[in-house]
Amino acid sequence: MMKHSRWFGEFGKHAVLLIGAIVVILPFYLMLSFSFKSPAEIQSISGGFFGSQELMTDRRCIKEGRSVEECSMRPVVYNYTAAFSEAPLLRYLLNGVIVTVSIFLIQVVIALPCAYALAKLRFWGRDVVFGLVIFCLLIPVHAIALPLYLMLAKVGLTNTYAALVIPWTISVFGIFLMRQFFKTVPDDLIDAARMDGMSEFGIVWKVMLPTAIPALLAFAIFSVVAHWNDYFWPRVVITGDRDLMTPPLGLRMFRSDLDGNEYGPMMAAATVIVAPLVVAFLLAQRRFIEGITLTGMK
Amino acid sequence: MVQSRAPIWFVTPAIILMFLLLIAPVFVAATLSFTDYSLGDPGFNWVGAENYEALANRSSYKKMFIASLTYVLIVVPISVLLGLGSALLISSLRFGGELYKAVFFLPVMATLLAMAFVWEFTLDPIVGVVNETLRSGCDVGWVYSLLTGLWLGLDPATSWYGHGCAEDFPLWLGDKKYALGTIAFIGIWQAFGFNMVLYLAGLTAVPRELYQASEMDGADSAWERFWLVTWPMLGPTHVFVVTITSIRSFQVFDTVEALTRGGPSKSTYLMIYAMFEKGIQQNLIGVGSAITIIFLGFVLALTLTQVYFVNRRVHYS
Amino acid sequence: MARITVRGITKKFGELDILKGIDLDIPDGEFLTLVGPSGCGKSTTLRIIAGLESQTSGDVLIDDRLVNALRPSRRDLAMVFQSYALYPHLNVWQNLATPLKLRDLNFWERLPLLGALVPGRAQKTKAIGEIVRETAETLKIEPLLDRKPGQLSGGQRQRVALGRAMVRQPAAFLMDEPLSNLDAGLRVHMRAELAELHRTLAATFIYVTHDQAEALTMSDRMAVMMDGEILQIGPPDDVYEDPQDIRVAEFIGSPKINILPGSGDSAGGVECLDARLARRLRTPVDGNVSIGIRPEHLELRSKKANGNFEGLLVHAENLGSDVFLHVTLMGGEHRIVVRASPQEAHDLSVGDTVWVGRERGRAMAFGTNGQRLPLVSKQRSRKVA
Repeated sequence: MMKHSRWFGEFGKHAVLLIGAIVVILPFYLMLSFSFKSPAEIQSISGGFFGSQELMTDRRCIKEGRSVEECSMRPVVYNYTAAFSEAPLLRYLLNGVIVTVSIFLIQVVIALPCAYALAKLRFWGRDVVFGLVIFCLLIPVHAIALPLYLMLAKVGLTNTYAALVIPWTISVFGIFLMRQFFKTVPDDLIDAARMDGMSEFGIVWKVMLPTAIPALLAFAIFSVVAHWNDYFWPRVVITGDRDLMTPPLGLRMFRSDLDGNEYGPMMAAATVIVAPLVVAFLLAQRRFIEGITLTGMK
Repeated sequence: MVQSRAPIWFVTPAIILMFLLLIAPVFVAATLSFTDYSLGDPGFNWVGAENYEALANRSSYKKMFIASLTYVLIVVPISVLLGLGSALLISSLRFGGELYKAVFFLPVMATLLAMAFVWEFTLDPIVGVVNETLRSGCDVGWVYSLLTGLWLGLDPATSWYGHGCAEDFPLWLGDKKYALGTIAFIGIWQAFGFNMVLYLAGLTAVPRELYQASEMDGADSAWERFWLVTWPMLGPTHVFVVTITSIRSFQVFDTVEALTRGGPSKSTYLMIYAMFEKGIQQNLIGVGSAITIIFLGFVLALTLTQVYFVNRRVHYS
Repeated sequence: MARITVRGITKKFGELDILKGIDLDIPDGEFLTLVGPSGCGKSTTLRIIAGLESQTSGDVLIDDRLVNALRPSRRDLAMVFQSYALYPHLNVWQNLATPLKLRDLNFWERLPLLGALVPGRAQKTKAIGEIVRETAETLKIEPLLDRKPGQLSGGQRQRVALGRAMVRQPAAFLMDEPLSNLDAGLRVHMRAELAELHRTLAATFIYVTHDQAEALTMSDRMAVMMDGEILQIGPPDDVYEDPQDIRVAEFIGSPKINILPGSGDSAGGVECLDARLARRLRTPVDGNVSIGIRPEHLELRSKKANGNFEGLLVHAENLGSDVFLHVTLMGGEHRIVVRASPQEAHDLSVGDTVWVGRERGRAMAFGTNGQRLPLVSKQRSRKVA
């Protein structure tokens, strides 16, 4: 009797979770599906997941004076080529990589020595500095976007890569996280390195950095996900110059350029932007979940 | 130990950047919130509390506060409860838990702006999948009967679904009755997986012996064990989840800017968007700064509440 | 009060045999200890008796009533956990009252505010309060009733955990390594207190530990478990003096019993290194045997004599009342531990050559399969012959 009710319970739980999963997956499914389909199929909500893939003609191609044969293609090919040709999508992606990678590297270069000093060195004013870090944890960067924008504008840095990167160079959260991690590293390890004649600077990069790889990886995931997906800050400091736009901002421009029903290419572009992180997540779920929740495990 | 200068070199860059990029802006915003400054002006005039008075009195700002609080009050409880519920269900599964966990976490990873556009299209009143599906149900007898309450002998026209069948379904993002709810729905969709993962982590930290002890003590049903052990043991997680979800939902911007621009009729005029529109797009730095300061006040209040609760539970361990 | 019977319990995890058929019969009021190295299945046995885990096959009976299908709470047992498992959000009073509330109050009466409106609840609550107070008095934890577990020391938590087990006056107490989280001094003290508590309550105790000293000092009977089996069960003295298996001999006793190689001949005589045992094997074994001699059955001799071991003193462990001498034999091939009095050991220093004699009739012989081989004195065997 107990066995029966247990299996019934298991079945009920799966039923509830499955409904939730469908709602959660729905937009991903539609995004992918629309990126495969022709405009007509999108409008009429037909063609299943992959569409019928009947040949279609590219109107822009015709306008350029080429023949109909030359301009015939499958909708999926059309959508994805349009995504890359109608907007500098490749450039956006490159910008995204440049910005997220430089943010992360600078954050580490600034945070790691500071975290090490706060965790393992004794110096005058250490508690004050740590208090400062805790205080700064209270300030969300998005909230102070306006004064930051003004300051950057005053020094003429808006519409530059620098503007995209500078506000994020200091990660108090990163300092806090790494300090907590370094606290768990035994003092003996550091003393042994000192006995071996290593400088404090050498200790940070040759001893602490390697031991901190797990925590650093988690922080990397946290930082890259946040900044690849960030739309607000690029929206504030980049106005007009497409060569500097990050993927979300580029997608926004794409959306406003579209003439109403060009949803296929837009969904293709959205897929290309969403895909890297989602694929990375599916490949390394555990690491990603740990990385993101680390922010929760203060 | 020999005093070395190393610590100074290690902390100085961080300290400078903290002051420059985090603390100074707060003071800049605080100062400018009492002025009529505009970017490009050679100087500014002190206007006293005028900007704050505007925030308190003008109806568009009142709508902003109402919309922001409503948004938070919708998103926080629902996404926290969904997170807790799914975590409890998933952790009690015999198989398949990892799969649901991955699926529910996907929105946390995905670029919100891109997904906002997909939702916009999904909720499109004419070609959107949602309304199309709702409409198709109108022609299927039993679905119509079930959803309108006809089978209970109710008048179909008075029900939400019957009304939708007769007059067409809502415009969602274009209807001021539904826009904020729709934006909140997207917010919940995006946030609850994060809460779920935090709760799952919290659940694994509950000692198994405690459940066994409660069973020995006579807590026979899962319901009793939940209230005796799970719920109180998740105390610190509750506090953290609620705080971080509140702070995050106060900061919502992407969906508003991309989908409604605060409309229709300011029904989705949320704080960060208002700050962006006033301060950056319309160059009304004074008002924008005042919104910034009030926003920081909210965040501070939330965090201090969290600290209070965390300290109160110090005797856990 | 209850008699607990366990019949042919097995437990499998996939292909792994955790328990290979456990039989126990624990009379009412006995203090039985399950002792063994970690992973031997002792905790699993306890949990199966409690109902927290289910067995693959076999029966658990409490007072001759089959309880296999009964929930833990319906078996009328109480358990003290290794981690104490106190509810950290409840204070001591509430922790003690929880089992009573769950048993005596119904669903409505337990509701936080509405519960107060249910008629009859006040009396029940009063009765619960009375029991909690009495229990706290017995355990001398009354001043702690308002505190939360986080504010208590290890020993105090231990008492609260005991109290929580006591309030319901269960048929039997199950204890899973309850002392292992305490520091050494407190552990010794709590041993005595637990034994006393057992006498006061006169209830059945089943106690699981990996510490052979706890098993020896507290129990009426002890069951030595290894690899999912009970190797030997009996009063502590019997198990110590008369181990039936070499693994039991090695597990029980500190310092460990000395095991030396020996060989038997067809007449039943046994040689151990270059010495010959005075007794014979009742059933002669022609081949290798192991000889076990406890350190207290060895003694220092002043000079070389027949049947003595000659060895080199490599280490002396001074415990104050006794000195344990570590001696290597045969040029370091074997190592034995000898108990000596401080006076005897006084003049010795590491590196000295020493002679070790055996107390008569104390050596034990074990076959190659680990089974005890009985030794009999020559006179008797002659008579038989």
